[in-house]
Parts: sequence; structure tokens; C-alpha cells
Amino acid sequence: MKNKELLKVNNLRVHYPVRGGFWNRIVDNVKAVDGVSITIHQGDTYGLIGESGSGKSTTGKAIVGLEDATKGNIYYQGMDITKKSTRRKLKYNREVQMIFQDPQLSLNPEKRIADIIAEPLRNFEKLSKEEEKIRVIQLLDIVGLGPEALYKYPHQFSGGQRQRIGVARAVATHPKLIVADEPVSALDLSVQAQVLNFMKKIQEKFNISYLFISHDLGVVRHMCNHIAIMNRGRLVEVGTKDDIYNHPMHIYTKRLLAAIPETNVNQRKAHHENRLAVEKMYQDHKSEYYDEKGEALPLQKISETHFAAIPKSRVNLLKSGSGEVSD
Amino acid sequence: MQKSLETGAQLSKEDLIKLSDEAKNNATPSTFKIIWKEFKADKMALFSLIFLVAFIVFVIVGSMFINVSQMMQTNIMNYFAKPFTSNFLLGADAGGRPILEQLIVGSRNSILIALGLTVISSAFGICYGLISGYFGRVTDLSMQRVYDFMMIIPSFMIIIEIVNIIPNYNAITLTLLLSLFYWMGTQRLIRSQVLAESQKDYVSASKTSGSSNLKIIFKQIMPNISSLIIVDTTISFAENIGVETGLSYLGFGLPVGTPSLGTLIANANDADNITIYWWTWLPATIEIILLCLAISYIGAALRRATNSTQRRSTD
Ligand SMILES: Nc1ncnc2c1ncn2[C@@H]1O[C@H](COP(=O)(O)OP(=O)(O)OP(=O)(O)O)[C@@H](O)[C@H]1O
Ligand SMILES: [Mg+2]
Repeated sequence: MKNKELLKVNNLRVHYPVRGGFWNRIVDNVKAVDGVSITIHQGDTYGLIGESGSGKSTTGKAIVGLEDATKGNIYYQGMDITKKSTRRKLKYNREVQMIFQDPQLSLNPEKRIADIIAEPLRNFEKLSKEEEKIRVIQLLDIVGLGPEALYKYPHQFSGGQRQRIGVARAVATHPKLIVADEPVSALDLSVQAQVLNFMKKIQEKFNISYLFISHDLGVVRHMCNHIAIMNRGRLVEVGTKDDIYNHPMHIYTKRLLAAIPETNVNQRKAHHENRLAVEKMYQDHKSEYYDEKGEALPLQKISETHFAAIPKSRVNLLKSGSGEVSD
Repeated sequence: MQKSLETGAQLSKEDLIKLSDEAKNNATPSTFKIIWKEFKADKMALFSLIFLVAFIVFVIVGSMFINVSQMMQTNIMNYFAKPFTSNFLLGADAGGRPILEQLIVGSRNSILIALGLTVISSAFGICYGLISGYFGRVTDLSMQRVYDFMMIIPSFMIIIEIVNIIPNYNAITLTLLLSLFYWMGTQRLIRSQVLAESQKDYVSASKTSGSSNLKIIFKQIMPNISSLIIVDTTISFAENIGVETGLSYLGFGLPVGTPSLGTLIANANDADNITIYWWTWLPATIEIILLCLAISYIGAALRRATNSTQRRSTD
């Protein structure tokens, strides 16, 4: 059964002006996001993967309304919320929240935990002081922290605990969608699983959808059912988990897959060789997959769920029935 | 969700209060407590603080018992009366006016003007820097051009001009006038810090939490630069004592007949006064040195208290 469509990003562009010259005029644009379309359904965990600087955070920020779209539209439950005024009128952020990459920076060091978690409640819901406190204690309980945390400051917690506080704040108003911007990449490997588990638990409890941003296909494997691969501001491959992990089409996706660390010691050598082979293939075929300006090609439909920015000739090759394209 | 709501509902009011109190006791000490500890660890700063407060209280209360117009009347009989006599503890000046009383009233005038100037100009500079740094872009650009303009105009000259032009002015108008020209340093300092703070994710988190810009500026960012504000304001206070004093010294400060530390120091403009009638200017000079020393000791302690790596107090 197909779930209801929750968020639709249509051809989103976010360009940052580069100013320079004598008059401080706009001389160029950084195309942080350059024509991204994403559809997130209710209950989805949608992975947005790409290397550093590919524009993932900018996409996420545009979705929660922290960055303005230069072009394109964002629809939430069918309503166009691209404009700030509409977002405010709809109390959009009550329903769409964000978990930030670095819990060290995303919690105000001068505020007590009670105030940090209560901030969205105070702005979006009218609760009495007591109701608010009870709600905060509940939220702390959900992420495995006791009420003694209430009057402490962020620096009195470990990194994992802090990120759980960030999760508690994001779910405070019972949002339907949470943009999680690399929520565990600042954390120790041992704590990553713990925070991810809390996020999963909360998803089941509140029926939340996630846009899960990461640079690591390994972390995403256990979280996401849909995945989009982002490269230089554009999507290069979109598909289900199966499409991406088992039938990758774009060389960039293959490269990311090869970069997942191998934990099995016995296969290290084979893994390393595979990685070198993929890297060589990437260098050899790079020019086919990007146009002369170095931008990714438009997405081609491969199956109902699977799209990839590959040259047309390869799509035709696929359709003629040769199955997997060998390189 | 249902389940957690129930457990939450089971919390009775007493439990809630008990939990809150326990949590409060575990909490970290407030900034005020940390500052107080630092002062206790640094005896010189503590002494300076006590000295400064006691002195300010003394001159304010003391000048209530002095009839200024009577004191400022010329009395040729007491022309350069010698100090350490029963009527003139610190002697008298060329007009036969008692130095000690002038010193008390003058200190009150100078200190109150410096305090007022510090409060007004710092408050303005802080708000200016917060807004400029937080909004950035065009707001910042235009606000900083205004700042540039204020920096290049020779403010001291302009103040002197204005003082000459306006017919009657008093301590309050003088304070307001000076405030127009002494907020720039503060705003520059605050702005640079706010520029960095605004980029941090806790500001983004506040935005997605639905807080208004004003709330974010004053409730989220300002507490994070409070140490900078405290230290800067203290130092401004020391500087501002110098502003009014300097102006009065040149003869453009408070109107004639109103004593200030500056007018007393101006006695030293006369060669005879410097060599023979030293009591006319020396007390005020020493007082200014002591005040500025005390304030700088206090400022140093504050700076250490607000910077956890430099604290002298243990724990
Ligand atoms: N405020 C800004 N002004 C100008 N350029 C920006 C700004 N924010 C981001 N960029 C540029 O946009 C591009 C994409 O940035 P973004 O933060 O979205 O990358 P990212 O995929 O999240 O990377 P990372 O994995 O390192 O977080 C980068 O090249 C960055 O330099
Ligand atoms: Mg990022």
C-alpha cells in the first residue's frame, strides 16, 4: 500500500551569491542546490547521501525553512510552503523539525535543558507551566534521560546524551517530518547505534517521517527505505534501498558503496581491491557521466522506483535487454 | 505516545516540585556565584571593589550635605588657604573655595556622568551590535557604514562645538550628548562576536522552534556574550570617567560653577599652582589614578571569572 505523500520538493535551487569587485556586486553564484526533486511519503525514512559540500545540509535547511529557495517549490501536504509568510501562518515548523549535525553547537550552552526542550512548546503550544514541565519530563524519558537533567546545562552531558536532547526537542511538538542532518556523524561509533535506535523507536511511536542526511551509505542502510544520492548540488541516483545497494547505476553511487568500511577482517583484502577497481573505473568513465561544465546529467528513468543520471546511450543499452551494464 | 502520557500524568504535583528542587540543587552555579568566588580568590580585586563602592557611596551621600552655590562663592579672605587646617582640610584655591568640598561634589558629578554615559552608550552599542551582527547582509552593511561615518568624524571637536552653541546645558544634557559619540567601540566588539554566534546551530534551532528574531537576539544570543558585555562595560566606565574629566579640563565640560574632577585638575594649568599650590590639583589627580586602577583590577577579575580557563578560584 502506498502511503500518503507528505512532502514534495520540486526542482529546488538554492544559490548563494558570491560578491566581489569594487562595488561589491554579485559576480558569481555558488550552486549549493541545483534542481533537486524529492518526494517523501508518510512513515518514510528517506536517505539523502553525498560527500561533503554536495549541498545536503542546504537542501535540508531549505525544507525546514532555514534557507530560502532561489527557485523551485516545496509542497507540504499539497500546500506550497516555499514562502516564509505561508510557513509562519501554517505554523509549519510545528510539523517539520530538524535535528542538527553537531549537538555541541545546536544546544545553547547558556540555557538549561528544561528551557531548551520547552522552546518549541512555548512558541507553538499554549501550555501551563506545569503541563509544560510534565511534557518535558516525558520527552526526556522517551530519549532515556531522567528528570534530573531538567536544570542542567548542555556541557554537563556526553555527546550522545546531548544528541538525544536534540532529538527530544525536535519531537516536542509531535512533528510529522524531521530533517535529521547527519545526526550521528559527530558521535563516537559506539554511541551512534544508541542514538539511531532512539530515533527508530520514536519513529514507530509517533509515526514520524525522516529525511535522513548522511555522507555514509553504511549508516543509512539500517535506517532508510528510500535513498537519493546527491553530488555537486544535483541528484545523481534515486531509488529504493534495494535499487541503490544491489543495482547501483551511477559511478558516483558505486564509489560511495565501495567506500563503506568492511568490518569482516578476512575480506579486507578483497574489499580493498574492489575499492581500487571502482576508483579506476570512476576515473576512466567520469567524463561520460558529467557534462562539459562538470554538472551531473539529467535523471533517466530505469524502473518505477529507480532513477539515475546516466548517459542516454546506457539507458538504451539497458532497455535492449542486456540487463546489468558491465563496465 | 499514549503510554508515556500516562506515566507523565502519574507524576503528582509534589513529585514534580521535589524533582525540580533536586534538579536545581544539582545544577551548575550561576554566573554571579562564579564571579563572587573569583573576587574572593583575588584579594586585590575584592579590595578594589569595596573601595570603589564605598567611595561612590561616600561622595554621593557627602555631597548632599554641601551647599554647592555657597561653596563656589569667591571668598578672597581664604585665597590659597593652606591645607590641613581646621577649616580647610585640603586647603582652598585662588577663589578661596575649599578643595575638599569641591572634590566631593566634583567626584559625584564626574562619576555620575561617567555612569550615565556608560549605561546609555553601552546599552545602545550592545543593541546596535546585536542587530547588525544578527541580521547581517544589507542591515549589517548599512549599519556599519553609519559606524564608519561616526568613526571618522572628530567627535571631540564636535562635542566642543555643540557645547559652545547650545545656550544652557547641564549634567544630563551633557551625558546625552556624550552618549551620541561613545557607543562605537562597544558595538564593533559586540557585532564581531554576534556574527560568529549567529552562525551556530543553536540559533537555527531556535528559528525552527518558532522563536521571533527579537527573542533569539536577546534571549538566546545575548546570554552567550554576557561575559564580553560585563568586561567591556567595566572598561568603558574607566574610559568614560576620562571623557568628562578631559572635557571639563579643557573648559568645555560642565558649566562654570559646577565642580568636577576635570575643573580641579585644570588648576594645574597655572605654573604657580603646580609648584607652590600643589593642593589645588594633586588630590583630584590621585583620585583619578586610584579610581582607574581599582576599575582595572575589577575588570581583570571579571574577565578571569567569565573565562573558565583563567580562573584563580579553585573549583
Ligand atoms: N551561507 C553560504 N554562503 C555561501 N556558500 C555556502 C553557504 N552555505 C553553504 N555554502 C556552499 O554550498 C555548498 C553546499 O553546502 P552544504 O553545507 O549544503 O554541504 P553538505 O553536503 O551539507 O556538506 P557536509 O557533509 O560537509 O555538511 C558548499 O560548497 C558550501 O561552500
Ligand atoms: Mg552538512
